[in-house]
Amino acid sequence: MKARIIDRADVLKIVDHLRQQGYEVIAPFSGRGRDTFFEAVTDENRTHIQIHLPNPYYPPKRFVIPHIERLLKIRKSNGEMLIEPTYDQPKRAIFGIRSCDLAGISHLDRFYLGRDFRDIYYEKRRKNLLLVNIVCTDPDQDINQECFCMCADTGPAAREHFDLQLMDLGDEFIAVAGTSTGEEMLTHAMFRKGTNAHKEKRCAILNEVRKHFKTTTSWFSAAVRYVSQGKVLDKTWEEVGNRCLECGGCSNVCPACTCFTVSDRQVGTDEIERVRMWDACALAGFTRMAGGHNPRQAVHDRRNRRFFRKLAHYFIQRELSMACVGCGRCAAVCHGDVGMPSVVEMIRRSATEIDAHEANR
Amino acid sequence: MKPTDNIYLPKTAILDQVIDEIAEVKTFYWHFEDEAEQKAFKRFRPGQFAQVSLFGVGEFPASLPPSPTEDETFFTIRTVGSCTAAFHQLKPGDKFGVRGPYGNGFHMEEYYGKNLVFVAGGIGLIPLRSCIVYALKHRDKYKHVRIYYGSKTPKDLLYTTNLREWEVAAGIECRLTVDRPCETEVWTGNIGVVGSLFKQPGGQVPVDNTVAFVCGPPIMFRFVIKDLLALGFQEHNIVSTLERYMKCGVGKCGHCCIGVAYVCTDGPVFTYEQIKKLGENI
Repeated sequence: MKARIIDRADVLKIVDHLRQQGYEVIAPFSGRGRDTFFEAVTDENRTHIQIHLPNPYYPPKRFVIPHIERLLKIRKSNGEMLIEPTYDQPKRAIFGIRSCDLAGISHLDRFYLGRDFRDIYYEKRRKNLLLVNIVCTDPDQDINQECFCMCADTGPAAREHFDLQLMDLGDEFIAVAGTSTGEEMLTHAMFRKGTNAHKEKRCAILNEVRKHFKTTTSWFSAAVRYVSQGKVLDKTWEEVGNRCLECGGCSNVCPACTCFTVSDRQVGTDEIERVRMWDACALAGFTRMAGGHNPRQAVHDRRNRRFFRKLAHYFIQRELSMACVGCGRCAAVCHGDVGMPSVVEMIRRSATEIDAHEANR
Repeated sequence: MKPTDNIYLPKTAILDQVIDEIAEVKTFYWHFEDEAEQKAFKRFRPGQFAQVSLFGVGEFPASLPPSPTEDETFFTIRTVGSCTAAFHQLKPGDKFGVRGPYGNGFHMEEYYGKNLVFVAGGIGLIPLRSCIVYALKHRDKYKHVRIYYGSKTPKDLLYTTNLREWEVAAGIECRLTVDRPCETEVWTGNIGVVGSLFKQPGGQVPVDNTVAFVCGPPIMFRFVIKDLLALGFQEHNIVSTLERYMKCGVGKCGHCCIGVAYVCTDGPVFTYEQIKKLGENI
């Protein structure tokens, strides 16, 4: 892998360079208090781009699969019907995407583009998307209480899925290319060759950063095993369900959730749009069929569903990638505190109870 | 399907004819506007389904009751929700969207040389009709073919023209039952649940080297399975087709996923052995 050095003062030149090349550049900004968000860079807001900040709750997933997305436009006139798919294929770059969210996009790639059917809407959005990753190195800004990327093995420094990775070394940044596009960017005059000292510094900083994660090793792999073996007590799922407020927030902030619903809406006298929207398995209507029959009525069944989907070995094998990337957003937004880290802990305790029971038999 | 195809794009279909079946259920004969599309679609397997679009209302999954060996394409649809209700309002000549066929379907050629037992309740006959017609077309490939069909009242029997044919056709046995007779129709046949047909004189169900197709409402499904297991059927020789809330039909939207199985792509046809392992309510 090719690595280069860039001065701290020059880092935003990467954004300028991308914009000159015709990219719409998305970057993280800071609002009031904890409010952080990804937004398109303009001449006005360029200087406000934040290198270090708490990861925005609204995940950058929306740049590959928007919250609401039009699939088709249908025109009806004089008994004729014209069905026209509407595609969006922007030349876009995300500057400052975190390692966990990169893993999220990689998971979406495997899900939407894998198996028998390819999602062409996703594919077109993804095709010209350039990803500039920034490694989380600031323990005060970048790392939250809930971050558990180390446990999900997606961070703090991503090993793949980026075009370019930047890491803060103090006065300088070390830039690593992950693709040929990234390598080409490194040939620009703003980058210079690094020394071994830079590499050593990178390692030293990473080692130090790792100490700042609250959850360094959790019981993630154990949870996968217990869920796959059906070793979780029913009462544990019920406990999780009892604490779920059925808001669907966890799915909406999740960078790796894939479910959507489809709806038609009238946009003119003879024009109709078919749109798809993010959906959440925590919502009561998720499996309700026409006529009212709902096979998954109890809230703990639906909670169980989300964690089963993310933790069951079968699905990890199916996509060769895990639908949880350790970003900690679900834990941060959940009012009932049944985000992934706490549920993993509950699962572990539940399975331990089963083991103890079996040992005593 | 080519990788460049849009998996969510329905093709224009034209409604030819509407036939009243029973209360709230109609059969809709249709064809694709594009001939090549029609030809490609006709390669479906019994048990597969299609996504039907009513633009402005929505899209719903519908079983394919015709056998691929038949010339016509049609849906038999009960009005249950907003989409199906809107579909019932369509007149011949009206256009709508269809995409598919989707799902695994019944692999009828795997059952060559076996006895086939079809057990249907109510509108559960819709997906099984495809297999029955297919089996009758390839009658020499199968041994005994038995049909057991039950409905609430004589007025609720679907495909009565087919039923009359099947009742008199040589080489198959078709037995009907109703839960209760009704005033408007004369009924001289059996009264009772569909499982009661298994015990009728001369109606013995073949068990060895037999595949049982079961489709009907959840309560009927539960009791028929019990009866079949009691007769000595093995779980992997009982096949059924499941229904679920579905948006995409191609394994992406996530709505139909039960346990580890996507009903749209891994199903909708499952053996009872698989259904039991799904780990959720049907």
